[in-house]
Amino acid sequence: MIHGYAGKILRVDLTTGMVKTEKLDLDLALHTIGGRGMNSRRLYLELKKDVDPLSPESLLILGVGPLTGTYLTASAYFTFTAKSPLTGILGDSSAGGHFGPELKQAGYDQVIITGRSERPCYLLITQEKIEVRDASSLWGKDIWETSSAIRKMLRDPSVQISAIGPAGEHLVKYATIACNNSRMCGRTGMGCVMGSKNLKAIAVKGTGAVTLADTLKFLDLCKEVDRKIISHPEFEKRRNLGTTMLMTDLNRIGILPTRHFQQGVFEHVDEVSGETLAKRFKVKNKSCFNCNVHCSRYYITQEVEGEGPEFETLCSYSSRLGVSNLNFTLKMNAYLNRMGMDSVSSAEAIGWAIECIEKGLLGKGDFDGLDLRWGNTKAIEKLLTMITERQGIGDAFAEGTRSLAQRFGKGTEEYAFHVKGLDMICGDPRGIKAYGLTYAIASRGGDHLRAEPFFELTQRYEEAEKRFGTREAANRLSEKGKAALVDYSEKLALLIDCLTMCKNIGLCMDILDFETASELLIAGTGLQFTPERIDRGLKDQIDTDRKMNIGFGMDPSWDTLPRRFIREPLKEGPTRGCLINIDKMVKEYYQIKGWNKKGVPKK
Amino acid sequence: MISVDISKCSGCKRCEANCSFFRTGKTGRSLSRIKVMKVEEIGVDFPVVCQLCKERFCTRCPNGAIQIGVLGQIIVSPTLCNACGLCERSCPIGAIELYQEIPYVCDLCGGDPQCIKECNLGALLFEPEKQGAVTIKKWNKRNKGLSPDEKRLKFILNQATQLRKEWILLRRT
Repeated sequence: MIHGYAGKILRVDLTTGMVKTEKLDLDLALHTIGGRGMNSRRLYLELKKDVDPLSPESLLILGVGPLTGTYLTASAYFTFTAKSPLTGILGDSSAGGHFGPELKQAGYDQVIITGRSERPCYLLITQEKIEVRDASSLWGKDIWETSSAIRKMLRDPSVQISAIGPAGEHLVKYATIACNNSRMCGRTGMGCVMGSKNLKAIAVKGTGAVTLADTLKFLDLCKEVDRKIISHPEFEKRRNLGTTMLMTDLNRIGILPTRHFQQGVFEHVDEVSGETLAKRFKVKNKSCFNCNVHCSRYYITQEVEGEGPEFETLCSYSSRLGVSNLNFTLKMNAYLNRMGMDSVSSAEAIGWAIECIEKGLLGKGDFDGLDLRWGNTKAIEKLLTMITERQGIGDAFAEGTRSLAQRFGKGTEEYAFHVKGLDMICGDPRGIKAYGLTYAIASRGGDHLRAEPFFELTQRYEEAEKRFGTREAANRLSEKGKAALVDYSEKLALLIDCLTMCKNIGLCMDILDFETASELLIAGTGLQFTPERIDRGLKDQIDTDRKMNIGFGMDPSWDTLPRRFIREPLKEGPTRGCLINIDKMVKEYYQIKGWNKKGVPKK
Repeated sequence: MISVDISKCSGCKRCEANCSFFRTGKTGRSLSRIKVMKVEEIGVDFPVVCQLCKERFCTRCPNGAIQIGVLGQIIVSPTLCNACGLCERSCPIGAIELYQEIPYVCDLCGGDPQCIKECNLGALLFEPEKQGAVTIKKWNKRNKGLSPDEKRLKFILNQATQLRKEWILLRRT
């Protein structure tokens, strides 16, 4: 009998409406674990490299891990993977909430979707049946309305739903997929791929249960994990503020993206901080499945209410655009959640436009007369609705910042802050060097979650010496030991993505290590997930992702950062004067990886 | 009885996971005797569990399979039960539900409820002295044909009215 895993994968062809259930290949499972790893491998094995990500032949893969939906705390995530329409390389995005565990309880480890439905449809997955259903009445509805409508139609208030909003329908290249209304698979445009398939939503009802190979051992391990979480020095802070705590934290060290990375300190941070959000708008904690941190929040303002925002959205729609009005930020959070659009990518495009006007490279006339200035919330809001609907200049914005800047040219490309087409997240790499390296090498582009080297902010110097051979690895401003740190965290981040667990807990709180993960996997599945086997699998996966990206047309010379971070030092604050020597760091990283000088895996 | 402080629940379903895990070694909502309802439109989360109600609607079991224990908890006899489903239909708040022909209802884990232990937000409270203190008669109207989940939703929507008023008062005035 199979444990941990559900033991089945589902294939759906939306062109023909054919559905097929297959047995999970246990060799593949042992090698790639699950979640992001298994999704990525599937894409590598089954997708034609030169396929248009928005064509019917493109694959959209949904996956959960072997321990998702078990007794393990925060084993709540799920991952969507596809060739990204935004970047043209590997795309994937994960979210928490309650959808992932439900899919496992419905009996599936992975769902592979191909084809394109002639009419809008949604997919219903239960133990008893798989159905592709008509969604004509849902097309045009936002994510919240869609979830409510499906629950009403099915007369089931507890069915779990992942859906796209109007942004996904209009093929905005950075459209998202959301579950539980506000838990976003935010990056790389997975919602755009879903929209191209005319797939409005996936509704899952899981009435089964997840079993374990060695229940008592698993329980012991979970209890140990819980003890570590609860006794963590940041536990209370994370429970009260979640990731919004980073507004104040990053500002304190001078790396809070302000006015499109022109500054690292925001003079109005107190008006938009996590603390202020908690004090003025939060009404209670919210949580993903089986988590004891409850780091999310429900807020109510005069105009809107909803769950969130996480740090990235909070920062993107405040300091990054020079906005000091938290009411506005929360309104945009609710809007983006309803429409299904990535906050980081949309805010980067808008920030680019504002800076280009400020620098005199472009003018108001280039943007349909919109008065784009730092903090001008009216113009920002108007532009955002134009992007969602692809109206006027919004159509060009919907293609992503890289493409937008290429269209205008005139040196504006220099201010498009992306890596490999994926807009950079909120965190100035000039003051967090391991993060900088992560953005440069991440297999999905300018993003931190591929490694989340939070360790460099901990100042745990002795631990740094032990783990990475130099105390400097725990010094955020140093470049020493960072390639080793990123190599280590990259594997751990992948492992956590394969388990589809929460990275805030697993990585940032330093709860999960390879040994514990191995024990959990063995007790959970009964399969021989030794630390050596896990390590081999993870290394191979990182190399394979690299090869896949090169196959997609990625040039390894793209492993770098926008010019600003290499050449323009920050002028004020605790990161004043700092730059990042990214090329040197990347070379060191290749060496550790055992790749050749051009960054190509040897075999 | 297990009482719920709805204002504190984050909807993590840890109570559900604990309930099913400690009773069956597996995790799954169907195996849990406490079920969290999440009403995303209004931000409300609410675990629904047997309230050891005054009326004891479920004890009308035609096979005499349902008894009341010393703690006031419901005890289902697996030998007498023939899975007719009357108890499920009778409970006005959806606190008892059949899964694979077994009625799942809270029995207070014999006096040491596991769900309480893992609720670190204080949303669940075990009050052993409270039995038959809650009346749920008013939920017994217009229930015909509703699934346990639909009954739970109806129950909590009403319970949430007060909380929503408090929130609006706190944040919008």
